[in-house]
Amino acid sequence: MSLAEKAVKRVIEFGASEAEAYLQSEKVLWIEFDDKIECFKVTESSGLGLRAALGKKVAAYSTSNISFEEIGEAAEKVVKIAKVMPEDLEWRHFNMSFGKSDAFGYYDKSVEDIEYDDVAEKVYSAIQRIREYDFRVKPARGLLAIATTKTAIANCYGGEFERIESGVSVWVRAKAEDGLEKSIGSDHLETRFWKDTNLEELASKAAENALNFLRAKQIESCRISVIFRNDVFASILGTMLSGPITAEWVQKKRSPLAGKLGKVIACDKITLVDDGIMYGGIRTRPFDDEGHPTQKTYVIEEGLLKNYLYDTYTSLKDNVRSTGNAARGGYWTPPQTTPSNLILEKGDSSLEEMVKETSRGLLVEDVIGEWLSNPVSGNLNATVTHAYLIEKGETKAPVKGVTVSGDFYKMIAEDVEMVGKDVRNMGQYYSPTIKLREITVAGK
Amino acid sequence: MFLEADFEYVLKKAEEAGAEYADLRYQEYYYENILVENRVLKSYSSRNFSGVGVRVFVDGMVGYSSTTSLSRDSFLKALDNAMKAAKALGCGEKIKFDFESNRVEVKSNFLIDPANVSAEEKISLTLDANKAAFFDDRIRNAITRLGFSKDSRLFMSTYGARIKVETVMSGLGHESVARSYETMERVGYSDSRCAGFEFIRSGDWNTFASDLSRLAIEASESKTPPAGTYPVIVDPDVIGLLLHEAFGHASEGDLVSTQESVLYGRVGEKIASDKVTIVDDGVIENGYFYPFDDEGTVKKRTVVVEDGVLRGFLHDILSSSKFGVEPTGNGRAQDFENLPIVRQTNYFMLPRDYNFDELLEDIDYGIYVSGKGATGGQVDVGMGTFTFSVGPSKIIRGGRLAETVRGVVISGLILDTLKTIDAVGKDLAIRTNVFGGCGKMGQTVRVGFGGPHVRVQKMTVGGRWL
Repeated sequence: MSLAEKAVKRVIEFGASEAEAYLQSEKVLWIEFDDKIECFKVTESSGLGLRAALGKKVAAYSTSNISFEEIGEAAEKVVKIAKVMPEDLEWRHFNMSFGKSDAFGYYDKSVEDIEYDDVAEKVYSAIQRIREYDFRVKPARGLLAIATTKTAIANCYGGEFERIESGVSVWVRAKAEDGLEKSIGSDHLETRFWKDTNLEELASKAAENALNFLRAKQIESCRISVIFRNDVFASILGTMLSGPITAEWVQKKRSPLAGKLGKVIACDKITLVDDGIMYGGIRTRPFDDEGHPTQKTYVIEEGLLKNYLYDTYTSLKDNVRSTGNAARGGYWTPPQTTPSNLILEKGDSSLEEMVKETSRGLLVEDVIGEWLSNPVSGNLNATVTHAYLIEKGETKAPVKGVTVSGDFYKMIAEDVEMVGKDVRNMGQYYSPTIKLREITVAGK
Repeated sequence: MFLEADFEYVLKKAEEAGAEYADLRYQEYYYENILVENRVLKSYSSRNFSGVGVRVFVDGMVGYSSTTSLSRDSFLKALDNAMKAAKALGCGEKIKFDFESNRVEVKSNFLIDPANVSAEEKISLTLDANKAAFFDDRIRNAITRLGFSKDSRLFMSTYGARIKVETVMSGLGHESVARSYETMERVGYSDSRCAGFEFIRSGDWNTFASDLSRLAIEASESKTPPAGTYPVIVDPDVIGLLLHEAFGHASEGDLVSTQESVLYGRVGEKIASDKVTIVDDGVIENGYFYPFDDEGTVKKRTVVVEDGVLRGFLHDILSSSKFGVEPTGNGRAQDFENLPIVRQTNYFMLPRDYNFDELLEDIDYGIYVSGKGATGGQVDVGMGTFTFSVGPSKIIRGGRLAETVRGVVISGLILDTLKTIDAVGKDLAIRTNVFGGCGKMGQTVRVGFGGPHVRVQKMTVGGRWL
């Protein structure tokens, strides 16, 4: 019997009517650097997240100590807590549909076997690349994280299922200084595969970016055409939609998309899918964090709202099937309904075409504060740190320090003019470059 | 402790493997949080978290590795990882090893370990406080939290240090949302101590919650103050928040050495009024209990500003080595999975000689700025600018407290603000928080902050921030 199954058995022995065990172990190489490596850290951690139901009383407890005695104590503890919880009248049961989908490309074995010397050497050559790029450019604080994660899930109805995943995240930044002018440039990458991790290329991009924005200025407030670069729009998409498209938000009456199933909520250029099985996706997995198989779900199809995302609890409430979207933030937090790989499908325009067809506009390369936007009201706000002014079909002067704002739902319904063919991800969110007809830019 | 022989073995192995210095941190952490919203128990979360981190210095480079697996083999593997990490970095500048070799065991004062108190008692107490908040139908929403933590840390080093610190915290937090006509006001506050369950049993939490409801109602029926620059009295919560966020971070040695701080190169300079003395202290009544840092250095009182003159900065071993000064015991790590970085502990202003009425009497028109219900703010450590959205406050008219105002936002340049402090009260109130801490570079640590009541000649007060 596996450890997860043993834990489930222990929880039942202490009197629970249902039990679930989630076991995770992770190894992370974490490297912080600027003009040299500031921190090289290796963490190996594991933990057990238990859930117990006593009729309709549900509780969770977690521990990082997975010795046999501690599992017994944790099992006793979770049942104790369940006893004092009020009944959740909506509670039916834990996941009964264990299964695996045909997902591939979520584990790169070479990540686990990585040599620390190689990692350090790659980071040093990226730092060197920035130093040599231009005398005005210097490396700034960056990060490389390389992780291998093993997860096992069992509950009183099934399991145990196991999966092993790899992940690499990079964030490289450079600063440029010329007289009193200062600027920052950055680039990032999130991937499942070590071989895709080209640090020097990212370093060059960051340095180029920093240098290009040395003389960036604000522009006057105006209504203007805006092209959001793929990864920028991916991040906006994540902020604005990752909550509202879940059944959890809909059922809690927080989602502005409640009651809109089957209705047109965006223009026909917009197709949004939640794809838990795409090759190499950041959140690709054969089963979700309840052991339910993952799948590809059309959320918006050519503008029409087709589906919400479900986990077991929310699906039982609506009498539908789970879409395999249960995810835990860590073994210590209970699962929540969360998108897997959320992808805005590509169109057929190239970036050059988009720029060429813009008489006056902004090409937005980077923003901050987009995550402070309000997904409940749909009000989008972001501060543009890196953009180029477009005039008569050509990119001109660099722009910084302006804000873009507007009603996100109106943008995707009325303002989308062109959709690029260049999909890129920001974490689990994927998008092509998007050209919007006209939005409000606040500047000088 | 049963693992100590293993730890000593690992440290010996570190020396044999060529580490110039190594230390090891073992931590056991337990956390419990009960949340009641609108008279219903919403969640009871608790977590148990423990493990070991090993830090090695090899040829001037630092390697770090941690594990949650508590066996000798895992510890040796962590050491091996740390050694490989350090060696992968090549050679660096030599670090001055100012590590102390203290051998002590200390505990924060507590009588009743919260882990041993029944869930029923904790829940019923939280439910009661929450219900007490609903005495008026203008109260639309109320959230009450009860929180406990027990943090046991053991520090050992190749220099022979062995320091064991156990800190137990208990606290209750409450937030009431009131609506009058078109205005919604949210007022939240918490009271936490480094103490056991006796602190919770001795409190009147029903009054605590209903007082916050009363304040929320009062605020929802009041006006926002006219924007402008006024003389103000700030209460201990606000001066604590200002000092910690807008000044304290700027005095952290690492941010000074990279020139990210407005205080870079200004030691010995007069940067505040004569009345201002600011210290960072590891042990102070009602603050967070932090007698030693995570590098084994004793955390004594560090004077940052003395009578208006900048005296020095906060340091860990690395930053003190860069500055060529003594470490100040400010090398703190969130937990065993993180390396220590320069952090504040209990950061506060020392009291002087004014009582509250004396502070008030010279103000013809101004504002008494209160921290209860503050919702946050924003600072720029490089510029020294700050903006804080504080709690419901009171207008001062003719030397007396007058009507309540809501939506008060204070902003300014911290160094200007410190220069216009013309009177400092003789009271001192420090607080800490079991529900949160201070974040920096992805690490959260518990802190304490506060001070006396302080009069500031000029403070910009604006409309609501955000």
